[in-house]
Amino acid sequence: MQATTTKEKRPYVLEFCLIVIAILVALPIYYLLVTTLKTPEEAAASPLGLPHQWILSNYVDAWKLMHYPRVFMNNFIITFFSLIGCTILPCMASYGFARSRNWLSKLLFLAIIAGLVVPFQIALIPLYKLIMSMHLMNTLWAVVIINVSVTIPFNVFLFINFVKSLPLEVEESASIDGSGVVGTFFRIVLPLMQPVIASAAILNSLTFWNDFMGPLLFLQTREKAVILQEVYRNIGQFSTNWTAFFPMMVLGVAPLLLFYIIMQKYIISGIAAGSVKG
Amino acid sequence: MKKTLILMASLMMVSSLVLSGCGSSDDKSGKDGSASGEKKTKIRIMGYNKEETRKSYLEYLKKKLPNVDIEFQFIDLKSYENILRTQLAAGEGPDIFETSGSGAVYANADYVEDLTNASFTSKYNDTGLIRYQGKVYTIPLQSWFEGIWYNKDIFTKQGLTPPKTWDEWMTIHDKLRQAGIKPQAMGAKSWEPMMKQSMGMLLNEFYAKPENKDFDTAFSDGTKKVSGNWNELVTKWTETIQKGNITKDMLGIDYDQAQDEFATGKAAMWESGPWAAEALKQKNPNLNMGMFPIPGLTEGTGWLIGGPGSALSINKQSKNKDAAMQVLEVTSTPEAQQALIKDNFGSSFLKGVDVQLPAEYQDSAAAFKEGHVYAPWINWPFGAIAEDYGKALQEVLTGGRTVEEALKVLDDKADQQRKTLTGK
Amino acid sequence: MLRKRERSFFLLILPAVLIYMIFYLYPVISTFVHSFTDWSLLQKNIHFIGLDNYKALFHDDVVLTGIKNSILYAIIMTIVQNALAVPLAVALDRNLRTKNWLRMIFFAPAVLSPLVVGFLWSYIMSSLDYGPLNQILTHLGLGSVNWLGSAKLALYSVILTQVWQWTGWAMVIYLANLQGISKELFEAAHMDGANGWKTFWKITLPLLVPSITINTVLSMIGGLKVFDIIFSMTNGGPGHATESIVTVLLQRAFTDSQLGYASALGVLFSSFVMIVTVLQLRLMKRWEVS
Repeated sequence: MQATTTKEKRPYVLEFCLIVIAILVALPIYYLLVTTLKTPEEAAASPLGLPHQWILSNYVDAWKLMHYPRVFMNNFIITFFSLIGCTILPCMASYGFARSRNWLSKLLFLAIIAGLVVPFQIALIPLYKLIMSMHLMNTLWAVVIINVSVTIPFNVFLFINFVKSLPLEVEESASIDGSGVVGTFFRIVLPLMQPVIASAAILNSLTFWNDFMGPLLFLQTREKAVILQEVYRNIGQFSTNWTAFFPMMVLGVAPLLLFYIIMQKYIISGIAAGSVKG
Repeated sequence: MKKTLILMASLMMVSSLVLSGCGSSDDKSGKDGSASGEKKTKIRIMGYNKEETRKSYLEYLKKKLPNVDIEFQFIDLKSYENILRTQLAAGEGPDIFETSGSGAVYANADYVEDLTNASFTSKYNDTGLIRYQGKVYTIPLQSWFEGIWYNKDIFTKQGLTPPKTWDEWMTIHDKLRQAGIKPQAMGAKSWEPMMKQSMGMLLNEFYAKPENKDFDTAFSDGTKKVSGNWNELVTKWTETIQKGNITKDMLGIDYDQAQDEFATGKAAMWESGPWAAEALKQKNPNLNMGMFPIPGLTEGTGWLIGGPGSALSINKQSKNKDAAMQVLEVTSTPEAQQALIKDNFGSSFLKGVDVQLPAEYQDSAAAFKEGHVYAPWINWPFGAIAEDYGKALQEVLTGGRTVEEALKVLDDKADQQRKTLTGK
Repeated sequence: MLRKRERSFFLLILPAVLIYMIFYLYPVISTFVHSFTDWSLLQKNIHFIGLDNYKALFHDDVVLTGIKNSILYAIIMTIVQNALAVPLAVALDRNLRTKNWLRMIFFAPAVLSPLVVGFLWSYIMSSLDYGPLNQILTHLGLGSVNWLGSAKLALYSVILTQVWQWTGWAMVIYLANLQGISKELFEAAHMDGANGWKTFWKITLPLLVPSITINTVLSMIGGLKVFDIIFSMTNGGPGHATESIVTVLLQRAFTDSQLGYASALGVLFSSFVMIVTVLQLRLMKRWEVS
C-alpha cells in the first residue's frame, strides 16, 4: 500500500481484461478442486459445473489410502532439513569465496559454479551406487543430502553476489575489534544476509517439496514415501475414478498451495529479490 | 517478515507433529493383531501388476508366513524396468521381483538366483519353466493372455456375433460405426495395444505356419530379420487404421480411460486381459462381457496374445534369501495358485491345479484347446525392444513412418541390444 | 595474519565444497569417464571403447528427435513465456484495485508440483468427451482438438502447459524489476509527450534487460532439461513425438541398459547446456551495455 506519486486514472478496461485472463488461468485449478466433490458421472457430464451435492468422503478415503499423515511428515522432514543444509553451507561458503584471495578457493568456486549448467540427471547412476555404498539407501537422509548438494551451486551463486554488495567497512571494523573471520561471519555477515536467505529458502522449499525423481529413486518402501509417490502410486489404479484420484492430486498440492496463499506476499517478493539480485 | 516466517514454521511443525501423532497411533492399533512373531524378516516384493490383482495371494502369504513381513511395491510398467535395474546395478533391489519369461536379461548380468535345483521348481510343469542356458531363474505365476473384450449386449442388439475371420471383424467395426457406436476403445498412448494387435495378425498368419516355428530363436540369434518376413502381414493389419478403427485420437488416451469407455458401454470392444475383469465389473456391475481371440485371414479359432505370464525371481544380492525362498515355496502350492487366479484369471503351471474356464472366456475356448496362445516378444532375450516397435507403430498411425520403417526399427534395435547383451 | 585469514575462509568453504564434490562432482565425473565405455546394466565387465558411443549418438534417430524437441521446447517456451510475462508485469505495475489478487492468481500455478500439473492437464486435454477443454471448444462451435494424440500438436500442448505453469514466475521477476525503476523516468517521458507504446519501447524495455537476462537464461535451461511434465503428460509419445533429451537419456540408460551410451548423451547434453548459457549471457551482456 505505497502511495503512488502520480494520481493515475484507474485503467478500468485493462483491469477488466486482466481479470478475464486471471479467470482463465485459475480455471484448471478450479477444475481440479471442483472435480473432487463430484461423482464420476457428474464429472464426465459437466466438468466445469458446480457439484450438485458436496461429497467430502472422497477426501477421507484419499487421506487414508495415501497414509497422509505419514507421507506429509516425510515430506516435511525432507524439506525442513534440506532447507537447513542448503542455507547454512552455501552461506558460509559464499562468504569464504567472496573474501578469499587464494587461487585454490577461486578454482573451487569455478567448480561449484559449473554445477549450475550441468544437469543433475546425468549423475544419477553413479549417485545411486554412492548412496548404496554409504548405506543411506531408503533413508530420508539420502534425499536430504542430494537436495543439498544439488542446490549448492545455485545458492552459492545467489549468495555471493549479495555478499559482494555488502560494505567491507563493517567487517573491517569488526576485525579490528579482534573478531576472527568465523566470528565476523556469524555475528555480522550472516544477520545481514537475511533477506537473500529468505528468498533462497522460499525458492528451495518449492523445489524440495515438489521433487519427485529423488524420492522415486532413493526411497523404496511405503513407510518412507513422500506425498507425490503416493499420488503416482495410485494413478494407474484410480486414474478414471475421478472421485478417488482427484482428491489425491489435491492433497498432493494442497500443503504448498495453502502455504503460498498465506505467505504469498513474502513468497513473491522473496522470489523477486532472489532473482534480481542474482 | 521474519516473525511471520518463524510463526509459519512453528505452525507447520506443530501441525505435522499432531498429524504424525495420529498416524503412529493408527499404526499401533494395526499391528496389535499380528504381534505374535517377535523378529519379523522383511521381504520386499516388487511387481508391475497392481496390488489389487495380487490381493488374495498376498493375504494368503501373510497367513502362511507369520514371521515374514511382506511389503509389496507396485511400480507402473512405465518406470518399472528403470527403477528395478538401477537398484540391481547398485547392488540393492527388492528381495523378490516380478519379471517375464526366462529372466534372461537379469540372469545374464548375474542378478538372479539360480532356482534349477530348488525344492519347489520340480512341482511345476515343464512347459511353464522357461530356461535360460539350461537353467531356471524364474517361477511362473498364472498364465497370461489377452484378447478382445466385447460388450455382449451391444453385439446382440446389433445382431453381431464374435468374428471368425479378419474380414468379419472389420465388418463388425463398420456396422457398429454405422449404428453410432464406437467400435473399439484403445489406450494407444501406451505403445502396447497396437503392438499387440499387429502381433495378433502375425500369430494367425505367420507363427501358425510350421516353417516359422523357430523364427523367434533365429531372430534372437540374428540369423533372421523381421523385415522381409512380416511386411505383408503388418501392412495388411494397417487396414484397421485405414478403416478408422484405430484413430489418432486414441494416441491421447491411456489404458484406464479406454477401460472406462468400454465399461460404460461407449465402446463395444477393447483389447485387454482377465486382470481387467474385476475393475470392469466394479465400474459397471451390469456389464455383460465376453472375450474372443484375434481372428486371422482364414477361418479358424483365432489366437490370443499370451504366454507363461509373469514370473518371480529372487535377487541374488538379497540379504534374506531364506525367507525369499520360503515365499516362493508357499507360492508353489495349489492354494496360493488359486489365490492368484482368483484376482487375475489364468491357468496355473503348477502340477495338479485344475482351473475352470469362467463363462466370459467361452468364446476363446477353442483357441485355448488348440494352444493358440503366444507372444513372440517374450521369447526374445533382449530388453524392451517390443516397446520401440510399438512406438514405431504409433508413428505409422500418425503418418510419420511406413510399415517397412517400423519393422526396420525393430531389426536395428534387436541388433543393437544383441551387441549390448553379448558385449560385441 | 593473512594466512590465518585465508585458512579461516577455507574452513567456511570446506563443508559445502565437500558435500558438493562427493554428491555432485564425483558422480558427474564418473559419468564422464563411463561415457567412453560399454558399461551396461546387463554386463559385469566394462571395456573402454573410445568415442564409439559419441559416434553412435548421431545415428540414433530418437536421440536426434530428443535434441530437436528439447531445443524447440526451450526456444518456444522462452519466447512465449517472456512475451506474455512482460506485458503482464507492466500492466500489473499500474494502479489497479485488484492487483494483489491478480498477482496471486497468475503466480499460483508455479507452486504446484509439475507431476500433478502434468496429470491434471492430461485430463483437461483428454480427447475423450469428458475432456473439459474439448467440451468448451465444442460448445463454442470450434470442434475438438486432438491435443496429446497428434504427433504435430502434442509438443505444443506440453509447451502450453508449461507456459501456464511458469509465466507467473517470470512475471514476478519483471514486476520486481519494474518496481525498482523510479517513477520519475516515466513521468518525464510523459511530459515529453511520448505515448504509452513509445515509453514501453524506449524506457521500460531497456530498463528490464537485467530481468530479461535472468528469465531467458532460466527458461532456456529449464526448457532444455524438461522432464517431469513430459513424464506425466505424454511419456514421450505418441511415438517419439514429444521425447526430450532427458527422457531419451533415461530410456537409454535404464530401459535399454546402455549406461555408457546414456552417459555419452548426458555429457553431450551438459556441454550443450553450458554453451547455450554462456552464449546467452554474453549476448545479453552486450545488450545491457548498449
